[in-house]
Amino acid sequence: MQIKNRGLIFSFLGVFLLSACGGEENADSESEEQDQSSDADQIELRVAWWGGQERHDQTLEMIELYEEKNPDVTIEAEYSGFDGYFDQLSTQFAAGNAPDIIQYGGNLNDFVSRDVVLPLDDYVGEELDLSNHDEAMVEAGTFDDQFYGVTLGTNAWGVLINETLFEEANVSLPGEEWTWDDFDQTAAELTEALDGVYGTEYFDHNGFGIFVDQRGKILHEDGELGINQEDVEAWFSHWEAIRDHGGVVLPEIQAASSTTPEQSMIVQGEVAMQLIPSNLYGAHNNATEDDLAFHIHPYNEEGRHGVSLRPSQFMAGYSETEHPQEVAEFLDFMVNDPEATEILGSNRGVPVNAEVRANLIESASEEDKVMYEYVDWVSSTSDSPYVPNLPGYNETEALFQEMSESIAFDQISIEEGAAEYWQSLQEIVENNTED
Amino acid sequence: MRHIRKNTITAYLFLLPWLIGFFGLVLGPMVSSLYLSFTEYDLLTAPEWVGLQNFIEMFQDSNFWQSVRVTLGFVLIGVPGQLFFALFIALLLNKGLKGIGLYRTVYYIPSLLGGSVAIALLWKNIFGFEGIVNDFLAILGIEGRSWVSHPDYALYTLIILAVWQFGASMVIFLAGLKQIPGELYDASAVDGAGKFSQFKSITIPMLTPVILFNLVIELIKALQVFTPAYIVSEGTGGPSGSTLFYTLLLYQKGFSYFEMGYASAMAWILVLVLATLTALIFFSSKYWVHYENGGS
Repeated sequence: MQIKNRGLIFSFLGVFLLSACGGEENADSESEEQDQSSDADQIELRVAWWGGQERHDQTLEMIELYEEKNPDVTIEAEYSGFDGYFDQLSTQFAAGNAPDIIQYGGNLNDFVSRDVVLPLDDYVGEELDLSNHDEAMVEAGTFDDQFYGVTLGTNAWGVLINETLFEEANVSLPGEEWTWDDFDQTAAELTEALDGVYGTEYFDHNGFGIFVDQRGKILHEDGELGINQEDVEAWFSHWEAIRDHGGVVLPEIQAASSTTPEQSMIVQGEVAMQLIPSNLYGAHNNATEDDLAFHIHPYNEEGRHGVSLRPSQFMAGYSETEHPQEVAEFLDFMVNDPEATEILGSNRGVPVNAEVRANLIESASEEDKVMYEYVDWVSSTSDSPYVPNLPGYNETEALFQEMSESIAFDQISIEEGAAEYWQSLQEIVENNTED
Repeated sequence: MRHIRKNTITAYLFLLPWLIGFFGLVLGPMVSSLYLSFTEYDLLTAPEWVGLQNFIEMFQDSNFWQSVRVTLGFVLIGVPGQLFFALFIALLLNKGLKGIGLYRTVYYIPSLLGGSVAIALLWKNIFGFEGIVNDFLAILGIEGRSWVSHPDYALYTLIILAVWQFGASMVIFLAGLKQIPGELYDASAVDGAGKFSQFKSITIPMLTPVILFNLVIELIKALQVFTPAYIVSEGTGGPSGSTLFYTLLLYQKGFSYFEMGYASAMAWILVLVLATLTALIFFSSKYWVHYENGGS
């Protein structure tokens, strides 16, 4: 009995000792890796992004190419759909084990202001070449005179139209210069003529940004809101009218819908028109048999379309990365390398590198050409400024959605919804800009 | 003496994995969340002491009250609903039917699956616009809607999901029913008691300790429900806040809105409410729980 017990104790201790030794060993080899990062030792970089299947496939192929060209770097890809992507990222930041390279959207500023994004100024002009990039898009990744994020593409919002459904409904396609009234009428006609299909989705907070510009205002600038409660009320009334005329999809269908192209309402055949950024045109089109066309956003009565060029997404480093130099090299590869950019195509928007763009237009597919033309057209006709997302993006977006739903479901009046949004919006913006 | 000490050491060694888990994964995080609840902490930069500000803010926050309303609604309908249902099925299964073992297993399965992501996704489809519920309603000539994404109904679909996971309480009720001595029924039958008065005067009183147990367990579970709400509304608590469960808001605050201090404060309020409710139930049990041996 005694021997048995002692044996047990020893085996327990043995296991602990062994695992402790194991830990030691790992720690040693890791620090060695850091010391001689230029040597043949493997460097591991973790890269995170969100997207649909098409983007995943392309990005993985690009990563394979990078590993081929840089045998000393191993890349671990962490990718998912958009839902939950930033929640997971926040958790990783809090735990101090975020990926080395991270894809951001218009909320990059929320992370820069919390010091988790790697400043890239030291690498610009060395590892990271921005000389061929559009100035405005370099500007978009710059905060307080410090460059943080490489813009992966330029895009502009527009209306995706299911031509097959238009034909089926015998509704004529909108002209080049359609107004909100035309949009309203078209949507109502579509709902009327089609069984189980609605004219349009509700445009939500992305559409609100455009609407604000059409009213000659700027959503926010330098932490100051440029709108007031009346603008919010005008937006909700505007959509209430379209809904009353029958053009808008039932709120319960929109509430259950997804933003991933493959599962979007237009691909699922629930609506005939949907607001999308130009970079997602191809992904939507490839996900359905129907003919989809990308159309100009409706104008207001004064002839302003309000659409501006926007950075689609950013790629940026983690401030605590152990390999900042390699991060910069990877970012450079992703946006400047001819082969890599060809693989990535225009899934994340029109490339910001002029040479790459010229190269891609030559071999562009029909869909890509549509996108290039639209972005070109917006850039030549629009004087609408690029407005970054509101500070506290996750929260303001959720708030906007909640108020939109409450109004659409007739739970509160437009006035109440606008007032509540306006009040909470001010608080959130204030909370997220104090520094 | 030496034997005892050796054995004690062995016992502690066996307990060690659990102890490490308890101190490292339960007590440690609880203490740090208590500290964080008095700070402003955005996850990414160091926490800053703000005293009671999180708690004050919370009681003025309309989202907080919305989440309290949603959660209370869920608990007040879901928990009694589930207990009734579990008791009902347990009474049915307490009869000497053929193949009773199979039935018991089948009815227990939802409890094993119910908390999973897969079931939540399934639920979303069953009660969706093109779901099987609407197909069934169409046969009856009723036009369906998207139940999971309509603010008037979304919460009820989640309550049904909770009630459906009645297996665990059912098994405990069954065990309780088996414990009731048969003589009581025989004796009462001789005295002329019918089925209903037997149920009212024998079954229920004899089951009260089990009811108490199930009530407390299910209450604690229901107040902390998270997965189905997160999956069905994709983390938004929508439509228009109708499934904004307490834990979901807590999660949003902590991980989406960078307010971990606020989230920690919410967690502690939940702990306090849970403890109070449980204490109240135990206190009230004096008046309605019947122990055979006199309740010592």
